[in-house]
Amino acid sequence: MKMKWRLIGKIAVLEPIGRFDAHNAPAVAEALTEARNSSLKDAIVNLEQVNFLDSTALATLVQGMKHCRQLGGDLHLCCLQQPVRIIFELTRLDKAFDIYETEAEALHAFAG
Amino acid sequence: MPSPGEAAPADLAAMLTMQRPQVEAMARAWLLAGARAFGITSHGQVLAAWPGPEALSAAQIAPGAAGGLASEVTAEGHVLGELRVAGLAGDVAAARLAADAALLAQLAQQERELDAVAEELVGAQDQILALYDLARAARSHLSLPETLSALAGETARLVATDGAAVLFVPDDGEPAWGWHGPGVPELAALLAAFRCLPANGRELILAGSAATHGGDLLLVPIHMRDRTAAALALARGPGGAAFASPEIKLAHAIAEQAGAQIENVLLYEETLARARLDTEMALARTVQMRLLPARAPAITGLQLAGRAVPALQVGGDFYDFMPAQAGRACTFAVGDVSGKGLSAALVMAMARSVLRSKASGGATPAQMLDGANAELYDDLTEVAMFATVFVGQYDPAARTLRYANAGHSPVIYGPPGGPARLLEADGTALGVLPFSLCQDYALPFDPGALLVIGTDGFSEANNAAGELFGYERLLRLVESLAGSPAAAIADEIYAAVGAFAAGQLQADDQTLIVAKGVLP
Repeated sequence: MKMKWRLIGKIAVLEPIGRFDAHNAPAVAEALTEARNSSLKDAIVNLEQVNFLDSTALATLVQGMKHCRQLGGDLHLCCLQQPVRIIFELTRLDKAFDIYETEAEALHAFAG
Repeated sequence: MPSPGEAAPADLAAMLTMQRPQVEAMARAWLLAGARAFGITSHGQVLAAWPGPEALSAAQIAPGAAGGLASEVTAEGHVLGELRVAGLAGDVAAARLAADAALLAQLAQQERELDAVAEELVGAQDQILALYDLARAARSHLSLPETLSALAGETARLVATDGAAVLFVPDDGEPAWGWHGPGVPELAALLAAFRCLPANGRELILAGSAATHGGDLLLVPIHMRDRTAAALALARGPGGAAFASPEIKLAHAIAEQAGAQIENVLLYEETLARARLDTEMALARTVQMRLLPARAPAITGLQLAGRAVPALQVGGDFYDFMPAQAGRACTFAVGDVSGKGLSAALVMAMARSVLRSKASGGATPAQMLDGANAELYDDLTEVAMFATVFVGQYDPAARTLRYANAGHSPVIYGPPGGPARLLEADGTALGVLPFSLCQDYALPFDPGALLVIGTDGFSEANNAAGELFGYERLLRLVESLAGSPAAAIADEIYAAVGAFAAGQLQADDQTLIVAKGVLP
């Protein structure tokens, strides 16, 4: 899996690509830690290009979300493909995360 | 210093040093034949003159001196110098001088070849010693970074240079390198040069490279595992000599040796990692299996069956039966800890004990999950894991099944004679949020009612085409098995999912509890 990450203002935007599982979750965790070490309290994980998540990937996102909230920020998710959305619904993680249709909405939610 | 294999011209002065007695004999013969003086010149300089005193004889045979004979000493088209004779003339003397000149040319030529051979021998000996040192130095290091550093250090010492580095670029993952000396370029510059290596296995020389601040960079590819996976880099600052052919040869020999060393270390690391993983997995499996109940409790009006088949890479699945006791209804739970391996197995053990402790005192499933979440939240946050848990409680008097679901799936309910459906969770997994969102729900559980609580190892089982078994298939399967006893249903689900994924490695644990309402 590849991953891109960008900075929009003071918000880290991560874009994992492909299968998001135990093999590549460490890369995402590392990027989130890096963002945290740079005192960025807000992050967005754009899942547009992710077609599968396993429990390790979910745990990585949960950990990232907890860290952001500890700093008084948050981790937003956006652009979930249907299979990924189902995973979030089945595990009820859709109740734990703020999930948005588009990246613009996810960004805007931080501004508000 | 001339190099072996290069066409350095023969040298009369060097020949004279080595062959002086022969040339002196030649001079004596000329003086006996009546010559006033005999000598050798090269490029306008007198190299030697007889009979002496040398200065006097030299004046007589010096180029431009009147009278006498001269004959050029030539080798391979190069004029090396001249033989000169003073005080003799005539065709006979000229022919003899020409023959002597040819003889000296041959001597000079042989001398040069001997030098070249000797030098090559010494060079080869140096290389053998160098490689021996290299092998010995690298052998004592077992980790990749140590080995790369040791190889770089030895290389810098063997090839007198300002800096040496050994770069390893794996197929996937971060490049690793070891370096020695002040002149080594940045890793990024080395990687850029690495990508420019020609495909034919030859070296790359960057002269006046910016990476070495104007010096030279020599990069020699290291071939291993069917590709150029590493490289040896030598750097020389500006003002140093250019990399010459013997150094390049030596660098290639070192590169070959270094490749073998790196490969050894990689093999060793891989074997070690596999052994470590095997040990961890065996431990995890032991922890996991020990904690599972040996048999299902006997309950009036309810059949229970529990099964667990851990995957090769053990996850953190568990199931548990907590039989009815004073103040406690018969309670059962299925859980799945995120992640795999020993850590998942340990967290699973922890989650199981906490749940057990919350089962006493008439707590409902939602209260149990509430309490467990409060107790486990900090620990789960610490290890970046969560646990999905389903808790069910059977009330034989009311024939109802009370349950709460913290993010767990798949859970399938089949009412007697009706279509099976998924019972979706309403709360998040333990460890996700500091509070619990779970509520209690009650299902009528008359004879014929069926509840199957699995783990994602079933729904995410893959067939050879990469298709998932999925929820739809699982629902239809449960419907088709509704007439069988609980234990048979459990066995059939394993059989059906196993047949679907035939030949594929079981990627995740498969754990389930089947609960079935029966006539008392």
